Amino acid sequence: MKRSTLHQTTLYAAVFLVCAFLIFPIYWLFITAISPPDQLRVLPPRFWPEIPRWEVFGQVIRERPILLWLGNSALAAIGSVILSMTVSVLAGYSLSRFRVRGGQSLGLFILTAKMLPATLLVIPLFGIFRTMDLIGSLWSIILAHATLIIPFTTWMLKGYFDTIPRELEQAAMVDGCSPLGAMVRVILPVSAPGLAATALYGFVLSWSDYAYARTFLTNAQTNWTANLGITTMKGEYISNWGDISAASILIALPVLIIYLFLERYLVGGLTAGAEK
Amino acid sequence: MAGIHIENVTKSYGQLSVLKNFSLEVSDGEFVVFVGPSGCGKSTMLKILAGLEEASSGTIRIGGRDVTDLAPGDRDIAMVFQNYALYPHLTVRKNMGFGLKMRGTDPTEIDKRVTEAAKILGVDHLLDRRPKALSGGQRQRVALGRAIVREPQAFLMDEPLSNLDAKLRVHTRAEISALHKRLGVTTIYVTHDQIEAMTMADRIVIMKDGAIQQIADPDTMFKKPANLFVAGFIGSPGMNFLRATVNTNGPSPAARIFGYDVPLRIPQSFAGREVILGLRPEHIAAGPGAVTFDVMPRLVESLGSEKYVYVDVPVENRVEAARTGGDERRADTIIARLINPDERVTEGPIKLSFDPARLHLFDATTQASIE
Ligand SMILES: Nc1ncnc2c1ncn2[C@@H]1O[C@H](COP(=O)(O)OP(=O)(O)O)[C@@H](O)[C@H]1O
Ligand SMILES: [Mg+2]
Repeated sequence: MKRSTLHQTTLYAAVFLVCAFLIFPIYWLFITAISPPDQLRVLPPRFWPEIPRWEVFGQVIRERPILLWLGNSALAAIGSVILSMTVSVLAGYSLSRFRVRGGQSLGLFILTAKMLPATLLVIPLFGIFRTMDLIGSLWSIILAHATLIIPFTTWMLKGYFDTIPRELEQAAMVDGCSPLGAMVRVILPVSAPGLAATALYGFVLSWSDYAYARTFLTNAQTNWTANLGITTMKGEYISNWGDISAASILIALPVLIIYLFLERYLVGGLTAGAEK
Repeated sequence: MAGIHIENVTKSYGQLSVLKNFSLEVSDGEFVVFVGPSGCGKSTMLKILAGLEEASSGTIRIGGRDVTDLAPGDRDIAMVFQNYALYPHLTVRKNMGFGLKMRGTDPTEIDKRVTEAAKILGVDHLLDRRPKALSGGQRQRVALGRAIVREPQAFLMDEPLSNLDAKLRVHTRAEISALHKRLGVTTIYVTHDQIEAMTMADRIVIMKDGAIQQIADPDTMFKKPANLFVAGFIGSPGMNFLRATVNTNGPSPAARIFGYDVPLRIPQSFAGREVILGLRPEHIAAGPGAVTFDVMPRLVESLGSEKYVYVDVPVENRVEAARTGGDERRADTIIARLINPDERVTEGPIKLSFDPARLHLFDATTQASIE
């Protein structure tokens, strides 16, 4: 009894420490946003401003094209997620279900693309997109992000499909589905949690990109993504850290909301009950 | 409803030959059980029948129609899987109606048939639940229900009871038999459990390493096993095997077991041949009889209504042939199964006897039955 209480206390203390460590920067970002500029660098630091500037968020939205940037980011993220999911659902399903000669090494080969740093791919991609006349277009980052997302999501989904008993699609085929029909009508609905997790991963990856947007979109102001836009708020001589922090929070918000919305899918296991 | 005609079906995975020349004629309305140890190819044969696996060669006809190259959905069969394979995202009602919906059946007709099947199987109060919210036995019933609403030409069942606990298994076994009587649909049922095979089958197909060992009704399978494998597989506890050389010391051919010469009803020409004698545990009795021998039991197990007496086998009678039946027993013991036994059968030396007419005779090399 005593021992387990001690155990619990230690566990909670450890969880608390980790959370504090992870949350502190976000907290600081928030404080920076709502503090008056002259209180940012005082010593000792203040942990809550005397008069919080709540109006800073509205002000940033009015003064900067944040909504446009968010819209572009959303378009790019949704586009690359749709593209990636279409490809990786089919690829992951095939890798999971069909034994093809060399299938294993093919799968590993797909993963190697993931091992290359994004910056290494920027230059060849730039060349390719220039020939395709895509520089400055959102399509450039949609395609570029997809090349990053697909290898990983293919493997995530293969792993997920591996956990679904084959008898499910066999039952569907005996019931009259074609192989593709069995996938669409049975396997995909059953995989909803896996699909949600995978799509979210792709969304976050695209949303947080800076390198590709910076390279392909710099000269097309109306297509700037949020991350690219925000860096232009930093002036050469003076930077309004309060505004920048407020904008950063606004940009982080959508991902947070989506995460909260999808959380029950991410945790829930719909496959339970297929067997036994 | 329809007969099933399987002709020379073979299946190989690369070098591995999983089915060897499988031929079988199943008549309309028959209940046929494929039985054999794990890995012998039962499920593979069933999947080939369903169209889920492609045969390497051979033809399959269902109801006179060649279905060898048809997709599973076009064969008009229904399958029950070992893990039930219920669609977890659909309610019981939709699970059962799925096949009809795929065939474009009218929704009111689907509803009618689903309700009817659910009533038969006693799951009508569960129609709006998801599989996750059902017990193992209920899932099993829903899986059966999903098969019967389709009113197919044949049912294929792959170990449908093996995920149930022992009590429910016996109960459901009887129910499936009753269901078959009621619907009269041709059924092929796969199991590794010889008791299921014996109790349910019109005919049993016993398999080993992808080859059919014997096709017969349960009684024949029990009384006239075609070879050592079948003899050891059917019956529980399994048949006792004793090795011996046929001698002609006496007036007729005999085999020396437990130090006694037991006369055999075989021609003189068998003299000198190695044979394996099979004797079912229940054919050994306590006390003197046609052939009596004194033994010192190694162990006596009492089950109340019956006793199992374990007796050491003399070295020269031991059979090294691997035993693949339900019970893995050592080659150096035989079991006598004494029904309503004498109270005095405990430890100590006892007399056991058997009727030599009950002996089964097998060739020691080919393991085939000697008639
Ligand atoms: N897809 C496959 N690839 C290779 N070998 C397989 C495959 N499916 C089954 N086998 C092999 O075929 C044999 C028979 O399998 P199966 O029909 O499932 O046996 P059973 O149902 O009688 O236990 C086994 O040895 C198994 O390992
Ligand atoms: Mg099997």
